[in-house]
Amino acid sequence: MAKIDLMQGTLDMLILKTLTGGAMHGYAIARAIQERTDDALQLEEGTLYPALYRMERKGWIASKWGRSENNRKARYYRLTAPGRKQLNAESEAWISLSEAISKIMQTA
Amino acid sequence: MFWWLRACLLRIYSTFTRRSTEIEIEEEFAFHLDMRTSEYIDSGLSAGEAERIAARRFGSLLRTSEAGREIRRGTALDRLVQDVRYGVRALLRERGFALLVATIMMLGIGANTAIFSVVYSALLRPLPYPRPQQLALIWSNLQKMGAPRAPATGAALQQIRDGCRVFEDVAGIWVGSGTFTGDQEPEQVKVALVSTNFFSVLGVKPSLGRDFNRQDESAGERSVILSNGIWRRRYGGDPNIVGKTVPADEGAFRVIGILPTDFALTFPPDSNVPSDIQAWTLFDRSVYTDSSTYYIRLLGRLRPAATIEQGQQEADSMAERLRSLFPDYRNENLQLQVVQLHRDVVSDIKPALVVLFFGAGLVLLICCFNVANLLLARANTRYREIALRVVLGASKWRVARQLMIESMLICCVGGGLGLGLGWAGLKLLMRIRPASLARVGRIDLDPVILVFVVVVSIGSGLLAGMAPVLETGRSNLIESLRESGRVSTGPSRNRMRRLLIAAEIALGFVLLIGSGLMIRSLMQLHTISPGFDPDHVLTFEISPRGWQSVERAAFVDQYEQRLLSLPGVESVGAISHLPFDDYPNWYSPYAPEGVAEDEKRNLLADYRATTPGYLQAIGARLLEGRGFSSMDLKSSRSVVIVDDVMANVTWPGQSALGKRLDIEQYLDGSFVHAWAEVVGVVAHIKSHSLLRPGRGQIYIPYQQSSREHLSFVVRTGGDPAMLAGQVRYELNQLDNTLALSKLRPMQEYVAMAMGPTRFIAILAGIFAALSLVLATVGVYGVVSYSVGQRKHEIGVRMALGASSADILRVVLMEGLALAVFGLAVGVAASLSLSGYLADLLFGVKPVDPLTYSIMAIAVAMAALVACWRPAHKAAAGRPMDALRQ
Repeated sequence: MAKIDLMQGTLDMLILKTLTGGAMHGYAIARAIQERTDDALQLEEGTLYPALYRMERKGWIASKWGRSENNRKARYYRLTAPGRKQLNAESEAWISLSEAISKIMQTA
Repeated sequence: MFWWLRACLLRIYSTFTRRSTEIEIEEEFAFHLDMRTSEYIDSGLSAGEAERIAARRFGSLLRTSEAGREIRRGTALDRLVQDVRYGVRALLRERGFALLVATIMMLGIGANTAIFSVVYSALLRPLPYPRPQQLALIWSNLQKMGAPRAPATGAALQQIRDGCRVFEDVAGIWVGSGTFTGDQEPEQVKVALVSTNFFSVLGVKPSLGRDFNRQDESAGERSVILSNGIWRRRYGGDPNIVGKTVPADEGAFRVIGILPTDFALTFPPDSNVPSDIQAWTLFDRSVYTDSSTYYIRLLGRLRPAATIEQGQQEADSMAERLRSLFPDYRNENLQLQVVQLHRDVVSDIKPALVVLFFGAGLVLLICCFNVANLLLARANTRYREIALRVVLGASKWRVARQLMIESMLICCVGGGLGLGLGWAGLKLLMRIRPASLARVGRIDLDPVILVFVVVVSIGSGLLAGMAPVLETGRSNLIESLRESGRVSTGPSRNRMRRLLIAAEIALGFVLLIGSGLMIRSLMQLHTISPGFDPDHVLTFEISPRGWQSVERAAFVDQYEQRLLSLPGVESVGAISHLPFDDYPNWYSPYAPEGVAEDEKRNLLADYRATTPGYLQAIGARLLEGRGFSSMDLKSSRSVVIVDDVMANVTWPGQSALGKRLDIEQYLDGSFVHAWAEVVGVVAHIKSHSLLRPGRGQIYIPYQQSSREHLSFVVRTGGDPAMLAGQVRYELNQLDNTLALSKLRPMQEYVAMAMGPTRFIAILAGIFAALSLVLATVGVYGVVSYSVGQRKHEIGVRMALGASSADILRVVLMEGLALAVFGLAVGVAASLSLSGYLADLLFGVKPVDPLTYSIMAIAVAMAALVACWRPAHKAAAGRPMDALRQ
């Protein structure tokens, strides 16, 4: 699974991880990822929303309309049980992969 | 589980709520944009600036919402429009490729359009009469004579008309010729004699004037209905002509009606009822009591609900009645055969058309395979693009659909071009079509043809598009994206391409065999002698009517003398029934002397009345005895010349010379019996078909059977067409009331007789050439592609010591292997299919080793030619270059 689409999978993983803190709207997710990576990852809106919709279709996240902090109508996404499972699986794979890569990089 | 259910529901829900989905997405984006804008304003930008940057940052809002819409399931139409637009763009980017594919499809679809137009007009389109399926011909099967499709007597027509119940009505027709005279130049026309009910049975009404009625039969002047063509041409389209009389050779005709413009009669070719009859008049009343002259063709109309089978049952009981009434019919054990008119009209051309349609279908299939192959090659180079689309959120299904749409788009362009090519092809077909096809009437592009083209284009698009779709479905797209531009192909893709090419070769081989056999038949036809020498011979027809036999014979003799005196003319003769002419045949029974009474009437021959010069002028071969001379007069002893076919049937193993037989003569307007002596034997002259063996022939001196209708034969040393003016002039000098028609070289009749075979041979040849070219291009494409793929391998081989010749051989073998595989399948297919051709072939067996070997060699050669360039390229390459890459 992870082998097929690393790019897509990684983005999904980041979004799922971000949502563990609670329901968020799309803009907040983008901000959060940007802030937590110290602006290293600037999420394209063109990538973010397709990913959100895709994951919603897969059932990893769910959405509903709510009120934003400035009292505007916004769509909030939250993690579902399958999403959580998916996140765990991906994190584990990610961690073991990055550890493996780090070992090589350190010895070099 | 619950979430999965919810996702499903959402999917279903959003399918039905496209609008709300779209609005939701837009609202969501608007919110995002606003948030981003205020973020920028917070960091110190002006409102306008902030908005602009936020919008830019959002990327293409449109694209995002498109992707969003897709994921949230937009409507099918929505996506279709998008895909088509995308497809058009993709094809415009690769114009050369698109043009190549469209051209190939144009060839395939064009060929099919042309052939289908003919098939539709001839076989599928109903005849242009009301309820045409209820029209049927009734043939007399004279069993002892061996004439299964004989005409009927007038008395039989009367009996059938009176007794029919399942048939609404039955009409009769016979076509001869006549001459319109008057102030204008005399004009010889085809005149049909019909029963009063003929047009009502057909369901046609004159567009001007009226139909025949019973009173017309007993009126003093003969009533005539004119075709629209002659009315416009000869009588200037004058509506007042109805009710007036027009002069003709046999007295005046009173015009009672004009037929509609689009009227044409469609009878089968062997009925001797042509489609271009200019004048219609009635049988004399006495015809209906005549029980000895068999010449009337019967056309019946079944009651609305009645079937052909019911009609046949009625005809069976009718035949029984006729057998009990007329001794001749009893002797012949007469049967009546009911055949649907349309079926009968097309019966002789149908096998050829079916074969040609099948051939065109094969060409189309080959085109599809070729295009599939090209699309596969193109899909390879587009892997990155496709993979990107998948990453950006397009489903595999949608990618597959995209490929399909592109294939269909290109095939529809090909279809549009093909329609044009088909139109041009149809023009060509009309030029070379045989006479039997000319009868089916107007052949043109019908709305049905347009539907056909659309269906075929889309069908071809689907078929050709299947290959790349199957391939992309099988491969790992993301994998190829990672390979950063290096095109990857598994062995499977090449296998599919090879399979396609082998199939192309196999189908092409079937076409090659078919065309080879037809061409061989045509060649055989050219080598066989028709029994006469058609070169340097001019023919034309006149109808010296209304005279006594002696007068007529004297006139003919005088005219012949004048013709003979023309410069360059070598010999001159005349005959009542010219070989391969469409004038109603004269065939009747004969009985050799010493045959028992009950055996009589079993022998049938074609009768021809000729002047003494005919046999020499046409170039017949006299085998025994003498030709006719000017001494064979009406008053002298009756003599005949017979052909070898008739002599062998009648007196096997003996010389026919001096034998006596009971024959039919035509004197002063009626047929009489006479005993005649055989004075000569000539080699059989083919008269109806070059392919099938003909009936025996009996020649009678013109003096002893002066038929009204006469074809002249003028043999010259030079070009026969040059004589046209002079023969016309001489006739005018002699008698300016006589019309001359069908002025043409004898060669034209022979060419007409070869028509059907030539027609099929030409078309099959075009199809086969097309398929060979397509297969060659296909092999070239596959082999050069595979050489490109194997550059590295070839480099290694050469580095390891393989010579250029080795490489050349390897590549050539690859192409040859394709050809051999395709050939093996093609031979098997041809062997099982060529039986269907048997009826169309002449002088060559369906399994003709020569044709098979030549065509197999041709295919192998074509494959070698196709491999030559890529093979050379591979062999000329420097190994290190290949390895370095």
